[in-house]
Amino acid sequence: MDCREFCEQHLAFVDDTLAGIELVRMQRHITECESCAKHDAKIRRALLLFRNLPCIEPSADFSTRLEARLKTCQEDQLAMTQRNLWRGAIAATVASAIMLGYIGTTLFHPPEAPRDIVLPPVVASVPEAELTSITTSTPAIVTSVSAGLTIWPAALFAEQVPVRFAHSKLELTNYTR
Amino acid sequence: MADIVRKQAVSVEVLTVRERLQAMDDSAVVTAFLGGEERAFSELVTRYQTRLLNFVYRTIGDREKAEDLVQEVFIRVYRHLHRFDRSKKFSTWVYTIASNLAKNELRNRSRNPLVLFQTVQKNSQDEDRPLQFEDTTSRPDDMYRKRHLREIVEESVAKLPEHHRNVFILRELEGKSYEEIAEITECNLGTVKSRLNRARNSFAEIIAPYVD
Repeated sequence: MDCREFCEQHLAFVDDTLAGIELVRMQRHITECESCAKHDAKIRRALLLFRNLPCIEPSADFSTRLEARLKTCQEDQLAMTQRNLWRGAIAATVASAIMLGYIGTTLFHPPEAPRDIVLPPVVASVPEAELTSITTSTPAIVTSVSAGLTIWPAALFAEQVPVRFAHSKLELTNYTR
Repeated sequence: MADIVRKQAVSVEVLTVRERLQAMDDSAVVTAFLGGEERAFSELVTRYQTRLLNFVYRTIGDREKAEDLVQEVFIRVYRHLHRFDRSKKFSTWVYTIASNLAKNELRNRSRNPLVLFQTVQKNSQDEDRPLQFEDTTSRPDDMYRKRHLREIVEESVAKLPEHHRNVFILRELEGKSYEEIAEITECNLGTVKSRLNRARNSFAEIIAPYVD
């Protein structure tokens, strides 16, 4: 063991928390190294002085003063509890009054019989003008935009339009021609 | 006659309650207090008042202020005991409160130099008080030597940095474990060990010229 290791372990050495082997190594180092032995003795002597400082007792009126303060504290706590109780009671009374009022109103003024359900007027729109028939004999070309999305021919869109708006005379085009 | 018998019975009952509380550990006393036994708090005060007073006094170095702070500790304990986590040690909790109050006191002092002046005044008044802790059967020169040594030790402790001093007192005076100190000072274990080692070395260095 070197002196550095001794200093690192010294805290545990003084507190007697070292394992057996370490303890023996530390003790052996003290016998071999005068400087570390001096350091160890210096620390132990200082600690002994500190630990033997006389104990201080509370003054005679300590308990009396504490009791007085605790009594004040108790009173404060009691007052606060009472205040909270009062607040709770007031809140409960107000809530009960509102509840009773509501119940009374409901009992003495029963709600009117439900009327027939009146639906809002239906707004009808004029159907669009009929689409002109597809007269062209050229096949529809399915083109695509640069993004790659296909642009479906109008005929396919027309199939999806609600029947009432679809052109009744829509003709199918032969794409394979 | 019946009145006297009743009074005796009451006093016996009080005595047995007190004895029962004395036999309990801290946790059981706390439970008793929370269960409505007001006398349990007196038992806690009896157990901790001297220990806390010494701890706070060694930390701040002002006896009167230390008493005030210890009273404040008990007031806080009384107010907040219902919030105390009973899975933990009561003593650690109490020392944490005391440590924080002492720390605040030192911080306030460093902000307000007037308090420092007051402390100096109090210390000078202490000089005029009769000795309280020395053995009066000793010879006067022995008493002087002891008193002088005590003052040197106290001054040496006061010279330690606050966070070192706190750890040092908790370990050397109160005998707390490293783990408890870590919890009280809200530091990790490594920091506690490092501070304690430094505090011991510094204290030994400061006091060495006086004892050699």
